[in-house]
Amino acid sequence: MALIGNIRDFGLSDFLYLVDRGYKTGGLHLNRGDESALLFFDRGKLVYAARRQDEQSGDLLVRLGRLSPQQLVAAREKLETDAAHVNLTQIIIGMQMLSQEDLQSALQAHIEESVYGLFGWPDGEFRFEQGEKPLPDTPVMPAPISVENLIMEGVRRIDEWGRIKDRIPSTDMVVKFVDQPGEKAKGVKLAPEEWRVFARINGKDTLAEIAQKINLSEFDVGRIVYGFVTAGLVDVVKKPKPLTMQGAPIAETPRVKKSLVKRIINRIRGM
Amino acid sequence: MQTVKMVISGAVNAGKTEFIKSISEIEVVSTERRATDDTKLIKKETTVAMDFGRIAIADDLVLHLFGTPGQKRFDFMWEILSEGMLGLVILVDSTRPETFRETNRVIDFFVSYRDTPYVIAANKQDRPNAWTPDELRLALRQPDEVKVLPCVASERESVKNVLLELLYVILQRSEEG
Repeated sequence: MALIGNIRDFGLSDFLYLVDRGYKTGGLHLNRGDESALLFFDRGKLVYAARRQDEQSGDLLVRLGRLSPQQLVAAREKLETDAAHVNLTQIIIGMQMLSQEDLQSALQAHIEESVYGLFGWPDGEFRFEQGEKPLPDTPVMPAPISVENLIMEGVRRIDEWGRIKDRIPSTDMVVKFVDQPGEKAKGVKLAPEEWRVFARINGKDTLAEIAQKINLSEFDVGRIVYGFVTAGLVDVVKKPKPLTMQGAPIAETPRVKKSLVKRIINRIRGM
Repeated sequence: MQTVKMVISGAVNAGKTEFIKSISEIEVVSTERRATDDTKLIKKETTVAMDFGRIAIADDLVLHLFGTPGQKRFDFMWEILSEGMLGLVILVDSTRPETFRETNRVIDFFVSYRDTPYVIAANKQDRPNAWTPDELRLALRQPDEVKVLPCVASERESVKNVLLELLYVILQRSEEG
């Protein structure tokens, strides 16, 4: 079943997070006016992205100057006749037209730039077709890439508070690390300015306080923390209310008796 | 007579009124007015005050169900309704990702200052292109310990299941006696 929406309402970075954490496989179709894009994921990792129709085939490698037209023809012939190979990428590597590293490098740079440009879209319809796979002629990356760095780089290009406020309503929010960032944190590459913010996160200071301590604007800190939040590294929470004299939080939910809850359960079960 | 309260909240048109209608023993009291803002694009009559339903548990105990306004200008009602509630059901329209941000705002309001037991009901699971509960958990950035349950608010059994799951959460956190 397809997931359908608009990136105005559910941002591209949010969608990438969902694909990543949900280990999704499928094709993400994006459309905005005359523009379109197609991204393919395999178990949460990006394998291919194209902004133009003619980039969705092996012709892209010719256009990038990585294959000659004759090589592409030979690779396609082999793809049609050789049942052992699943896609063009495997053929190109198998026929030693390009090394895996060279192919990865060429495709990754192109694909990353394609995706970064999408972060500038203020809106656009999306449709995620679960299980959809690229055509065999699509030059997928030999090594799929994780999306955290794509999110971080995409967020670096955000230059307005509007989007940041979706996740960070005010700079009076406290920044704290998520309980289990796990392997995700290891793969994220941070710029020096981002490290300065990262090192100041202590679960107590607000964004405004962090900005003051490291002498950055609240917008810059907000943008950087937005990237961390979107990549799933940190959370922002409201500053806890002060404790009462007894040390209990204000407006704590009253504890109820088990017997009362069991009575309600039994009644509803019997309805 | 003891009364206890559960609150059903969520964004506009998430299915709060329908949810309460499916389980209430009395005809649901809905104070509805013609919507005057952009919500009228979604439905002609939208909840601007609240819905009220009731389930008699025993002669000495009654469960009240309150559906809260889904519009921003009724924030003040949430404060009143959330006082002393047993737990909270957050309803989400699983077919409309444009409401997920608003849903997060609702969750944040109820949960950030109070340690309120809550579950999320992924409503309209019978519709094509409904996001699954697992997808909604990721979209709403909810931790694993929060229950995100499939729901069809027009079906009584489905509503019962959501309320029971919430009650199990409340039970775990209740005290002996």
